[in-house]
Amino acid sequence: MPGKDFLALMLKAGFHRASLKSYTGFKSSPYTEGALFYGEKPVDPEMRKDIEAQAEHLAEPTKVECAPGSS
Amino acid sequence: MSPELTESDIRTIREGIRGKYAQVAATGTGCCFQYPTGREGMVLQGYPGEVLEKIPADILAAFCGVGNPFSLGTIHPGEAVLDIGCGAGVDSLVAAHLVGPAGRVIGVDVTVEMIAKARSNLERLDLPQVSFQIGEAESLPFPDHDFHVIISNGVLNLTLNKKKVLAEAYRVLKPGGRFMVADQVLVAALPPELAGKAENWFQ
Repeated sequence: MPGKDFLALMLKAGFHRASLKSYTGFKSSPYTEGALFYGEKPVDPEMRKDIEAQAEHLAEPTKVECAPGSS
Repeated sequence: MSPELTESDIRTIREGIRGKYAQVAATGTGCCFQYPTGREGMVLQGYPGEVLEKIPADILAAFCGVGNPFSLGTIHPGEAVLDIGCGAGVDSLVAAHLVGPAGRVIGVDVTVEMIAKARSNLERLDLPQVSFQIGEAESLPFPDHDFHVIISNGVLNLTLNKKKVLAEAYRVLKPGGRFMVADQVLVAALPPELAGKAENWFQ
């Protein structure tokens, strides 16, 4: 699954501040790479509907070629 | 669940995943991964050296994560952490050192052999705040609002129903709880000869 699709699922689940923070450089195949995802469960459950609506407007971080662990 | 998967595909995927990780539990990570594993992988991903020093080298050797979930935020002393797909429990042990004796860490995994290995590792350490149990990400055996933090590393891509997994993660997190996950994602289109094959799930 592409990272953008997983991020959309996180938003639909209700996670707040959901983001694909970065790629890790660890590749299990030529087609897949590790990625770091972060999200928070809102303190106010009423926020959930607004968060789900964000799933339609996603941006992924720019893909940068790098060696594992490099900054 | 993906509508393209047949019952046979689902069985193949579940058996393939359990078989692969049972082999990893028995023989180590050398069999099955194309990226650095063990302590080398953890150092490359920026795991804190002071925590790695507290965990025996042969336990760290079982690490096969694809990133460092702890790089996503601070885990505080006293917090409750759930490690989904804990494998041999390396990330759970890292979390245990971060939450300290007042905290709580539970690792769940579907592979019986991995949980046995995690428990065996834990017996050698003085970390009573940690426990391991069999459990599926799609049906977490915990009450609502139970954890401050969920971590997972290279596991959620293996699950068949990610929508359900995320709903369960959301359910068991406390309000304000953090979801800190490293996972494999597609970064290029699969060639036609590979696309749609059940075996891709556990390569």
